[in-house]
Amino acid sequence: MGKIFDVEFMIEIIPDILKGIPYTMTLAVISFIVGLFIGLIGALIKIYKVPVLRFITGVYVSFFRGTPLIVQILLFYYGIPILLRIINQRFGTSFDVSGVPAMVFMLVAFSVSSGAYLTESIRAAIISVDKGQLESAYSVGMNTTQAMIRIVLPQAVKVALPVFANFFIGLLKDTSLAFAASVTEIMGQAKIEAGRASRFFEAYIDAALIYWAICIIFEFLVVRMERNVRKNERGMEK
Amino acid sequence: MIDIRGVQKSFKNTVVLRGVNLTVEEGETVALIGSSGSGKSTLLRCINLLETPDHGSITIGDYKFKAHDISRHTKKEVRKRTGMVFQNFGLFENKTALENVTEALIIVQKKKKAEAIEIGRYYLDKVGMINRADYYPIALSGGQKQRVAIARALALNPQIILFDEPTSALDPELVQEVLHVIKQASDEKMTMLIVTHEMDFAREVADKVAFMDEGVVLEAAPPEKLFFHPEHERTKQFIDRYMQRFSYSI
Ligand SMILES: Nc1ncnc2c1ncn2[C@@H]1O[C@H](COP(=O)(O)OP(=O)(O)O)[C@@H](O)[C@H]1O
Ligand SMILES: [Mg+2]
Repeated sequence: MGKIFDVEFMIEIIPDILKGIPYTMTLAVISFIVGLFIGLIGALIKIYKVPVLRFITGVYVSFFRGTPLIVQILLFYYGIPILLRIINQRFGTSFDVSGVPAMVFMLVAFSVSSGAYLTESIRAAIISVDKGQLESAYSVGMNTTQAMIRIVLPQAVKVALPVFANFFIGLLKDTSLAFAASVTEIMGQAKIEAGRASRFFEAYIDAALIYWAICIIFEFLVVRMERNVRKNERGMEK
Repeated sequence: MIDIRGVQKSFKNTVVLRGVNLTVEEGETVALIGSSGSGKSTLLRCINLLETPDHGSITIGDYKFKAHDISRHTKKEVRKRTGMVFQNFGLFENKTALENVTEALIIVQKKKKAEAIEIGRYYLDKVGMINRADYYPIALSGGQKQRVAIARALALNPQIILFDEPTSALDPELVQEVLHVIKQASDEKMTMLIVTHEMDFAREVADKVAFMDEGVVLEAAPPEKLFFHPEHERTKQFIDRYMQRFSYSI
């Protein structure tokens, strides 16, 4: 055990750390999708200045953008059980907190947090679409929903795509914080392996390489997707 | 036929329309002229309810509405009956020329896709744009975009098309191709209300010219009368100013 740096150990534990990928991906993808939904609703509330909801959205966005993610994670981790207990007491229900996997708490935490960031990105993207587009959609008889879905949002997506891609890469890496809530994603797995042999550096190198590889693959996909979305800038169909 | 009665509109503290009266008979082309800021765009936008008028009533064919009684249903009915061509074209940037024309046929008029495409191609052909059917707006010149926009308005078969300075954003050499298409629609008895600074075009094509000044239609008459024997001093001043500018520019 006298090695300064144990390459064999580093390679040996890779398969175990890879077991964390499904958790990492699930967290990132589901939180992103739910976050998009929340963000779209939040953005529309802000743009259409819906009374009351507009105020709530403002506080929500401000809070989640203004507090560290790790603090939010711990608040959800400790807060949801307390909330459930209060609900049980109040309404005589019997939700079992201990039966809920930590992963679910983290899905909620990451979704809510993503929603706050995406509210602002989506709002900015929608506003960047020329107001004339909406008016000409009205002039041909579309209602607001039709105009949004068929004309404005597709153009907003084009603007937002690079922002979304960056956000997703950030989110993917941020999911590593879920180990604090004992979710066995990549970082959580690495920590377990590291602890077993007291070889932290080797395990965390593995984790770093795995995150890096995932991000490279994702960036490659984004480039292809952007090319697809931007087809109308080439001027002709096909 | 459209009939505009006593339409008023203010933005915050500025009164823009002070009681506009104007009639466009069926099949008629009316040119709306007047200096910048006199309220021409606002009037058009009140007709298809992109702006909500404060007072007055408007009749479009068989549909009549009053300013104080405008609902989502009113907007739907009004926009079904009106088409609009904007100064800045307003083509859907994420749709090809053909899709720009077929979009509302499918989404709003609920036509079958094949039928919509047939109609779309017919009108693109009419405005000389069939060979650009699959181009996105970004790949079209201003004149081409405006012709597609006109095809889009025509294809919906509205009871009136409102044009807001359709050639003002165009390079001079592209103006004629657009005016040509508008004249063609006029010859085919499309009912049209056209805000324009092209006085020659107004004289040649319009059945009636309306002069707008400080939020009212001061007078409306056949072109020869309005241009050469206007009733009001303000009209005369405006036209003199225009004719002068025109003769300088030659
Ligand atoms: N949305 C608006 N808010 C405030 N003022 C407006 C708005 N739209 C137009 N106006 C004002 O109304 C007046 C008439 O404008 P407009 O109808 O565009 O005139 P025109 O088309 O004849 O040049 C102008 O003084 C303009 O500043
Ligand atoms: Mg104007």
